[in-house]
Amino acid sequence: MILSQLVISGVATGMLYALIALSMTVGYRATTVVNFGHGDIVMMGAYAMLFLAVGVGMPFPLALALAASGLFLFGFLMQRGLMAPIIAGPHLSLAIMALAVGYALRGVARIEWGNDILLLPRPYAQNAFLLGPVVITMDDLVITGSVLLLLLLLFVVFNVTRIGKVIQAVFQTQRGAQLVGINVPAFHCIMWGAGTTLGTAGGVLLALIVPLTPDMGVWTLVRGFAAMTLGGFGSLHGAVIGGVLLGLMEKLLGFYVSTVFIDISGYLITILVLLIRPQGLFGQHATLRV
Amino acid sequence: MQRSASDGAARAVVSRRVLWIVPILLLPLPLLLNPYQQYVINLVLVYVPVAIGFNVVVGNLGLLAFSNVAFFGIGAYTAGILMVRLGLPWWVAVPPAALMGAVAGCAASVPALRGVRLFYLAIMTLAFGELMRWVYIRWIPVTGGSFGMALPPPDLFGWSLDSEAGKFYVFLGLVLVAIIATDRILRSRFGRAFVAIKSDELAAAAMGVPTNRYITLGFAWGGAVVGVGGAMYAALIGHLSPPAFDLTELILEFAIIMVGGLGSLVGSVIGAVIITAAPEFFHELPGYQELLFGILIVLVILFLPRGLASLLARAHPLFRDRYDRG
Repeated sequence: MILSQLVISGVATGMLYALIALSMTVGYRATTVVNFGHGDIVMMGAYAMLFLAVGVGMPFPLALALAASGLFLFGFLMQRGLMAPIIAGPHLSLAIMALAVGYALRGVARIEWGNDILLLPRPYAQNAFLLGPVVITMDDLVITGSVLLLLLLLFVVFNVTRIGKVIQAVFQTQRGAQLVGINVPAFHCIMWGAGTTLGTAGGVLLALIVPLTPDMGVWTLVRGFAAMTLGGFGSLHGAVIGGVLLGLMEKLLGFYVSTVFIDISGYLITILVLLIRPQGLFGQHATLRV
Repeated sequence: MQRSASDGAARAVVSRRVLWIVPILLLPLPLLLNPYQQYVINLVLVYVPVAIGFNVVVGNLGLLAFSNVAFFGIGAYTAGILMVRLGLPWWVAVPPAALMGAVAGCAASVPALRGVRLFYLAIMTLAFGELMRWVYIRWIPVTGGSFGMALPPPDLFGWSLDSEAGKFYVFLGLVLVAIIATDRILRSRFGRAFVAIKSDELAAAAMGVPTNRYITLGFAWGGAVVGVGGAMYAALIGHLSPPAFDLTELILEFAIIMVGGLGSLVGSVIGAVIITAAPEFFHELPGYQELLFGILIVLVILFLPRGLASLLARAHPLFRDRYDRG
């Protein structure tokens, strides 16, 4: 009974991690650059939502749409103005560039909202349902449902539409894609923006269950990385499965072994997977053999 | 053309002796400053070895290792734990802090030896740093947990270093040793191997350079120097707590080496001098430091990718790193 309860809440949390990992994977697949500022972008999405829904008082769907478009624009311009000029340069510059952008965002959030811990009010009644002996909260349902919807959407985009073909083409060979007339730099900007938009969705869902602070980005980034690493870098279904497994692991190890594992599962997974099986569950080879 | 360049280099070597004037000129500084200003100067001296060690791994070896804060914290906590739990004097605790920093460096190099590179290495070493911070929080009987650990005043061979001036002279000595030793290493076979690994690791290995051994050595040296910085930090602040070793600290250290100049010893020193004092001006304004540092790093990457050191090197050969042939 306890086990099934843990599995339910583990899957719900894991779905959230999956969405965050997925949003990082979308940008990574398009540009082969990891966004080290992504945690802070998720944080910014959550704050933008809070500002529009509570500060301005917009209805929830409108606020969500505006926050998502705002963050899309931010991601697009970040790729266009900051990442694109150095994309041929060393990986170090790219990593630090994204890290610095995230750091500046954290500063903006702290200047604007301070260190106060703020909560996003839920747009639905906080009910709980009993499924036999297992309690399912409305939060669990909303999170899992939203992520599943987004997954379905992404699946269709990636596998059925022409856009999916373009994504696949650029991922396989940028030069080849350019030769057949795909505007690769514009594509990078759009996909980077798509990543930050998905990150915003993650931030909004996260804001439903945890209080907002300007420092929540680090927490988010570590879990996103852990889920991506476990699933295999660049693999979309890997990110989802990695996220769910991470959520389950935190809950199960946290209950049966020690509460310590709620905090450190993410770090341990990242370190152990990269040491033992760097390509993760579904990724391609990730190491340099000398 | 070739000849004038080598003439310039020769003149630089001769006039480099002039650089010894800098520490000598610094000697009367404590007489001129109030204790707070002296504290800030000492903080700058703490960050010189921290930046040097970081720059060896990131700038010279060219590896994306984000574990520098872990080395810094391990050095600081090693010194702190030996002083508080075992009652050792500070100067006895400095070599173990360097040793533990080197051990942590070797540990952090293990994934690199297994072929983990680029973003993967960055993520893994980032996780290592965060995991260490969690250890400081959770290992309460030894580290004092979230509340931290108050340290006794440092001393050197029985002299108490409770004044900022006393710490200044000891720190200046340690910093000089770190600079000279790192300069020697970077100019030796080791430094040339680092250059080879950075520019093309596969080619270096094919030429018979034992790349793995040099990567471990680079990490160990970086960790040791940063560990000494940690011990100095413990002596200066007198109190260790986990938030001092978080991701914000990592970005401060990145700002130092990026603004100063990646892969440049001169740059590490300049960056520490310029950046370290900055947070002192932002105590009253939370958030602004993060915003300005973020923007500063972005601007440096876009417009001055080799940092201020490259500007100085262009202005006068005196500031050229001797191992820098580029």
